Amino acid sequence: MRQFSNRYMIIYSAVLVAVVAVVLSITAVALKPLQERNKEREQQQMILKAVGVDVPRQEVEKEYNRCIGQAYSDDSLMYYYYDFDNRDGIILPLCGTGLWGPIWGYLAIDKSGAIVGAVFDHKGETPGLGGEIASDKFAQQFIGKRITDSDGHVKPVRLKKSADHSSPFEVDAISGGTMTSNGVNDMLAADLAKYKDLIEGGVQ
Amino acid sequence: MSKRNWKLITLPFNKENPITVQILGICSCLAVTAQLKPALVMAMSVTVVVALANVIISLLRKTIPPRIRIIVQLVVVSMLVVLVDQVLKAYMYDVSKQLSVFVGLIITNCIVMGRLEAFAMVQKPWPSLLDGLGNGLGYSVILIVLGFVRELFGSGTLWGYPIMEKLGLYEIGYENNGLMIMPPMALILVGLIIWWHRSRNKDLCEQ
Repeated sequence: MRQFSNRYMIIYSAVLVAVVAVVLSITAVALKPLQERNKEREQQQMILKAVGVDVPRQEVEKEYNRCIGQAYSDDSLMYYYYDFDNRDGIILPLCGTGLWGPIWGYLAIDKSGAIVGAVFDHKGETPGLGGEIASDKFAQQFIGKRITDSDGHVKPVRLKKSADHSSPFEVDAISGGTMTSNGVNDMLAADLAKYKDLIEGGVQ
Repeated sequence: MSKRNWKLITLPFNKENPITVQILGICSCLAVTAQLKPALVMAMSVTVVVALANVIISLLRKTIPPRIRIIVQLVVVSMLVVLVDQVLKAYMYDVSKQLSVFVGLIITNCIVMGRLEAFAMVQKPWPSLLDGLGNGLGYSVILIVLGFVRELFGSGTLWGYPIMEKLGLYEIGYENNGLMIMPPMALILVGLIIWWHRSRNKDLCEQ
């Protein structure tokens, strides 16, 4: 067997790694615009889903431009609004932390402070447990719930064990996903408090 | 194509199948076969990675110092896997989300390293390409069978098309089998395939 010197091995590995690094950098830079667009489309699709518009990925851009807009509140917080087919209201972006990583969602609200739709997603919650927050079944519980009490003050929806379904402020938590459910609770409480002025002033 | 080269393609489909005979690459084959589409994309990704890695390593084989050969193989495989991952994220975003970590885990797929060590390190590029393709396709065939069976009986769809609903089976009381979409069922199905395969090839059975 041919003998290789230490110097050969070190130079060989260095050159190999450099070549690989160049190839990967070029690909990453070249494909970045496409990947960014995919992520943006996915976000738009999620926002559309929050107002009950379910469209395939190809038609997302058109529908999004028709239905959804972006605006800033007086205290310069970004939010979305929807205005189509004689329905209008605001969509609040939510973000928080679950058990393993970030969780986020969108809450669509009509003028009276009732939730018309919600969607949630997560980066890496446990599939089948905390990961269930991304399911339609979980999100649909929010439809018809409220984020303001009878005086028009912000009151977040809570995830609870054996929730009272007739209450406008309670939905069932995820069994086996207590930590993630707590994360959703904290996220709802914190982000609705953040948008307090907008909700109490604008929506009512 | 010579008879010897042709065997490199055909053997992995039968007596040297990476999954059912060598029992390699089981992890990903359980994880991504709940539906046909991700199974097929995963199968294609692995095939591309094994074939190209085989060719690259075969081209470099005389220059690779034996003491660092595993590292060199790993760098080449990682590069190919990251390339595949980037391309999927750009052109097949939904599938790449479904496959999540399993694309990255192709790096550790035993089939890839196994072929590099056993074949590409000592063979010319052309046979190495065929060997890579053969093993990739032998892996693919099992994934596609699993994906087909699991999606059809687990979700009642094929490639997302609601076939059971169109056949009107739900109206006469048919229900999807929830176990089918769980990874353990994939293991049971692989077991059944191995059983069937060995019953037809007695020389594969251990004494």
